Amino acid sequence: MSMPKENDMSSDFEQLSFDVFRDLLDSIIVDVASESHRIARLGLDRNLDKEEEELRLSAEARARASDPSQSGEANAKYVVDIFGQTHPPVASEIFNCMNCGRSIMAGRFAPHLEKCMGKGRKARPRTTRSTTAAQNRS
Amino acid sequence: MSARNYPYIIPEPCKHLVDYKLKHGLKGYTLIRDLLKCSPHGRTMIDKSKSEMPRCSFCSGYYGRFFMCLICSSVTCCITPESNHTLLHSESVGGHQIAVDMERAELYCCVCCDQVYDPEFDKAVMGKHLMVLPRSGNGLVGGGQMRLSKRKRLDFGCDLDSKSVKRMVLRRKQRSKSSLPVGLRGLNNLGNTCFMNSVLQALLHAPPLRNYFLNDMHNHESCRNSSVGRLCLPCDMDVIFSAVFSGEKTPYSPAKFLYSWWQHSENLASYEQQDAHEFFISMLDRIHEKLGKANPAVKENGDCQCIAHRVFSGLLRSDVTCTSCGFTSSTYDPCIDISLDLNTSTSFATDLASKPSKPNETLVASSLAGCLDLFTRPEKMGSDQKLYCDNCHEKQDALKQMSIKNLPLVLCLHIKRFEHSPIRKMSRKIDRHLQFPFSLDMRPYLSSSIVKKRFGNRIFSFEGEESDVSTEFEVFAVVTHSGMLESGHYVTYLRLRNQWYKCDDAWITEVDDEVVRAAQCYLIFYVQKVFHPKGSEDLSCQPMSSPADLFVPIAGCC
Repeated sequence: MSMPKENDMSSDFEQLSFDVFRDLLDSIIVDVASESHRIARLGLDRNLDKEEEELRLSAEARARASDPSQSGEANAKYVVDIFGQTHPPVASEIFNCMNCGRSIMAGRFAPHLEKCMGKGRKARPRTTRSTTAAQNRS
Repeated sequence: MSARNYPYIIPEPCKHLVDYKLKHGLKGYTLIRDLLKCSPHGRTMIDKSKSEMPRCSFCSGYYGRFFMCLICSSVTCCITPESNHTLLHSESVGGHQIAVDMERAELYCCVCCDQVYDPEFDKAVMGKHLMVLPRSGNGLVGGGQMRLSKRKRLDFGCDLDSKSVKRMVLRRKQRSKSSLPVGLRGLNNLGNTCFMNSVLQALLHAPPLRNYFLNDMHNHESCRNSSVGRLCLPCDMDVIFSAVFSGEKTPYSPAKFLYSWWQHSENLASYEQQDAHEFFISMLDRIHEKLGKANPAVKENGDCQCIAHRVFSGLLRSDVTCTSCGFTSSTYDPCIDISLDLNTSTSFATDLASKPSKPNETLVASSLAGCLDLFTRPEKMGSDQKLYCDNCHEKQDALKQMSIKNLPLVLCLHIKRFEHSPIRKMSRKIDRHLQFPFSLDMRPYLSSSIVKKRFGNRIFSFEGEESDVSTEFEVFAVVTHSGMLESGHYVTYLRLRNQWYKCDDAWITEVDDEVVRAAQCYLIFYVQKVFHPKGSEDLSCQPMSSPADLFVPIAGCC
């Protein structure tokens, strides 16, 4: 322990506050050590090895993915699938709309259905000359 | 050789502790227990408030770590290995070898110079907490009103079992010579519907849900709702299951499903990009609506028996602790999934991949474990959120802590990547990468583990604690998002037979593990290991089962 400076009041305080801080810090460090010791001894961290392995694999995967020399997933839409098939970017299957019965292409089904069902922001009831005329009459 | 008291390993006591116990039994422990003070935060220490400052019996110092001898109660300090008066005490008085750390209520062997453990000591410490804390139980017991869900590990019902499904599927498989797993089929994008396709792919391969539909538990042809022309989303799901598991290779258009869903959910029916998580919740809601009340013979503990809840429903526990007196009140809420905030702290793992040549790259990564730790961390409620404490009878500062009381069969973890700021009237997407494991043990996040941790991980069994609960999960589907908030794309990765498949709308391709690890996960689907041991469970394997095996849950195949 250091010798207090008899002539200097402020450095007494300084020394004291340093000692108090050091004592508190030491206590906190021992807290962590004691808790970790218990966790390790009681086998509560059994998965640590597996966790570290997963972290390592993940970091490696990220490094490889960001490597510009890798061909990467380029253009996913022109790829051949596991069955050996290719598909057009917009789904081309044709079927009948179950709301109105019209023939619709799969890739355009959602926007069609939205209008067809009268839902969504884009669908508005259309005012034609005959509907306004009907309103004026009544 | 150590004893096991799951989840603990009880370390074998050193011979000094054994000697002490033989000579003195539990006397010393009881003495210490009576001297203990319990803090509202769960800490235990020897009470110093009613006596003078403890000083070392050798040097009269009041610095450093203090130990109290279990036999003669003399107090000694230990500052450094060179200035260890505790050791001195054990050397000067024969047989005084075991002491207790006064600040932490931990046993210490002076000869081994190490912290040691004894379940009987921990029991004494916990006994003090139980004596001293306000109201009985107080977070240590499972909660009075909560009916304990007696769901045993493997009791999930034979309709969710794979054996019968395997037999049925095998018949179909034998016709086609494909060596690919069944149930892989692309889904056509009907116009910004990748959010729907991605979730459907995950659900199509959630083992209990898949088994339910393939076991014909909701047949769209014989369903009462459909026959009277009523909307029935479970029926629409059944149609999709049949289509996807039919063996057909051309992509399927889930048009009828979209139509039904839009009829159900007015507010979500629009041609625009939507959130996959919202869609997932909406779907489970609709299934519950149709199947939830159908079965009046609900189990006595009140759990809903609809397939959505049986598969996805878990129970969350929320503890609010008064920081003044330690009184804790617990509430339980069911949940269908868990939404996690990304933890933004730097982890040590970044050092593993650090490449000094790439200073621009964001090396700071988050991990799923970190997010779960964040979710279950005790949170100080702001001083503007003081809660009324029933014990203190006034408003006090409080701590809140979440934990999981019951785990579901399928655990959906939702990563909150879309941040909405009401102040700035802006939303933004968090692109930060999240590391997630393929095998996940949820034990540290269970209520029993969290409460134990709160009291210092003492070796102690709580009332109502189920020690044989299965907590191990395997990932089977990951829904990923790429791009921006307003214009992005969802892709699902499926894990079948330990091989990952990328499901990008109509395109199904094989990918390596590392592609999945590097992807930006948004929804991660884990299933209890029982259903998916190491991802090798597959319907196309030969089930060599006899009729007697029908009700035995599958343990895996090939």
